[in-house]
Amino acid sequence: MQCSLGPGASPNGNWGPLVTRKSVMRSGLAALLVAPFTASSLVAGRGQESGGSEAESSARAEGRGATDDEIVLGVSAAFSGPSRGLGAELYRGAMAYFNHVNENGGIEGRKVSLRLYDDGYQPDPCVQNTMRLMLEDEVFLLFGYVGTPTVTRVLPILKKFQDESIFLFFPFTGAQPQREPPYGEFAFNLRASYNQETAGLVDNLVRIGRRRIAVFYQIDAYGRSGWAGVRAALDKHGERLAGEATYSRGEKFTGSMRKQVEILQGVSPDAVICIGAYAACAAFARDAVDLGLDVPIANLSFVGSENLLKLLTEGQDDAERYTRQLINSQVVPSYEDTSIPAVQEYRELMARHDPQVPADLVQEEYAPFPHSFGSLEGFLNAKLMGEILRRLGPNPDRAGLEEAVFSIEDFDLGISERVSFGPDRRQGLQSVYHTVVEDGRFVPLDDWGARFG
Amino acid sequence: MRIRRLFKWTRFGIFAVFGLIVLATSILCIYTVDTELSAEYEVNTQNIAKTIADSSAGILLNQNLATLQSLVDQFLEVQGIRYIYITSETGEFLAHTFVPGIPEEILESEHSNTAPVERSLPGMGDFIEVGSPILAGVAGTVHVGMDLDVVALKIQRAIGQQVYLISVMLVLGVLASIWFVNLAAKPLGELLAYAVELARDGENDELGERDLLARDDEVGHLARLFLHVSRQGGGRGLPAGTSGTTE
Repeated sequence: MQCSLGPGASPNGNWGPLVTRKSVMRSGLAALLVAPFTASSLVAGRGQESGGSEAESSARAEGRGATDDEIVLGVSAAFSGPSRGLGAELYRGAMAYFNHVNENGGIEGRKVSLRLYDDGYQPDPCVQNTMRLMLEDEVFLLFGYVGTPTVTRVLPILKKFQDESIFLFFPFTGAQPQREPPYGEFAFNLRASYNQETAGLVDNLVRIGRRRIAVFYQIDAYGRSGWAGVRAALDKHGERLAGEATYSRGEKFTGSMRKQVEILQGVSPDAVICIGAYAACAAFARDAVDLGLDVPIANLSFVGSENLLKLLTEGQDDAERYTRQLINSQVVPSYEDTSIPAVQEYRELMARHDPQVPADLVQEEYAPFPHSFGSLEGFLNAKLMGEILRRLGPNPDRAGLEEAVFSIEDFDLGISERVSFGPDRRQGLQSVYHTVVEDGRFVPLDDWGARFG
Repeated sequence: MRIRRLFKWTRFGIFAVFGLIVLATSILCIYTVDTELSAEYEVNTQNIAKTIADSSAGILLNQNLATLQSLVDQFLEVQGIRYIYITSETGEFLAHTFVPGIPEEILESEHSNTAPVERSLPGMGDFIEVGSPILAGVAGTVHVGMDLDVVALKIQRAIGQQVYLISVMLVLGVLASIWFVNLAAKPLGELLAYAVELARDGENDELGERDLLARDDEVGHLARLFLHVSRQGGGRGLPAGTSGTTE
């Protein structure tokens, strides 16, 4: 398994801008390269230069990232910084499956390996990593990226290089940009969208009479995506957002969210939906309880439920005080439910392989969880990825990827929901699950009214 | 012997003229830099607002707010830009960069206004805010806030550099003028000393062999004239090589 630090990686995970006239110009040029609004001009440029035939394009795509011995998948994810747990868990779950595949002879005799780079959940390093994966490493495809602000900046690159038939598979984000035009055709998603997650939360909260819903969100593309989802879901019930408060990406659990809590207290919400990562959302839940904001606090799947729970309960005498109002939306079933075949397989392979993040990517200590929603999602991603690679046959080439994905129809991943893809269906799963904390772990929420009514 | 009194007013005059030049240049420089840079920052901010507005139209029509936020976030990296917000045609905030929340003053402002306004936001600082309409305003408005403290700092730095240069030139100019004055005063001092010696001991032959008498300038002429007058005991005629006027 190959791994490497990203070219823009910072030892302390700090990506604070050094603003100079030159750097502003450079960042401006970089923005022009990858900014969504430039997509049309980039495509126009490609059209001119790619004047060659489709066969020529296809030939160029052939063989890249796939040798007789291995297929290399490129990953840029958060392995450092306050959200490092997200990248680590997703990776661990994926590697549990790929290690199993490789132990059993690989796919058509080829081992699956991941080329890893750390982006610290920051857009610019993610863009640099992607260019490196595509141009230097020439990976077969991009896989398991983490985060909306990172992925939204990468999508225009995929469009720019569409002749190369490079696709992004199963990013750990439920945002819309990789599900809709103009970039939807360059990505394949497995998980349900944030719109589906927020709609599920809003519908249930409104159903139990909690109509004044406020939003606490990360002020970036991820937060805005969730904010838009809540807004749209409320609109269907004839409601508007009761209020909003924001925080900056990269906030740590030790930071204060009291100002945000006070802003939301000012609008007297019936519930708060958080669209953030675990460190900031845990800090918000902690400060909300401390300041007396006693309403349900819901989180989306991206939050990293186990890490959130760990921060809120570690070293607390009365941990239940901070967790009894939590509702966490999930996009995979509970890893505790061993009646589900895929969960059984996941638990068995996690126990057998116990994959760890490569040492040279570990900048800060991270204690992984034996099981987590994140690693289960990574496992399911890898399982479906393996199936797609199998369907490419003995001579895999990028040009055949789309066809292989579209051949997935009613596929049984081992969970209750079956997976299908097609030209107009680029998201495999639609289900959303809701969980609450009981006895220090997340369990399914069956009765909203009894718990929060 | 040193000639201090003769050039006292000359030195003062030089210093005064140089000082006046420096003062006038500095005031003009401060005014120009302040005006030009302030205008440049305002124009740049307006251009950024317009760029975002032009880029936002398609994104807004598709209701792709995550992409819109991503776009806004990228422009926040431009030096001096401290906040950006986009409102819909109905005044709803569709994307912004405020943490921990949208300031009250912004919430209550007229969102379709695109004219530059100065804002003082508690806990954030002073800003000049410019707006740009999206699709002539029917799709909303982009607002960009430029940090006036950053602008002021930039202007102060630019002015400081120019005034520093001018001040260095002033000091060098004054030192040079003093050196030139002293250069002129030195032979006059020698001439004065020579005249005093002639007055005391005019018959001394040694006084007729001084280097001063060989100078081909006004000081030399005067020295020879003094020697002649001294030897003749009055002004009965001019010595050879001494003309009546300076050349």
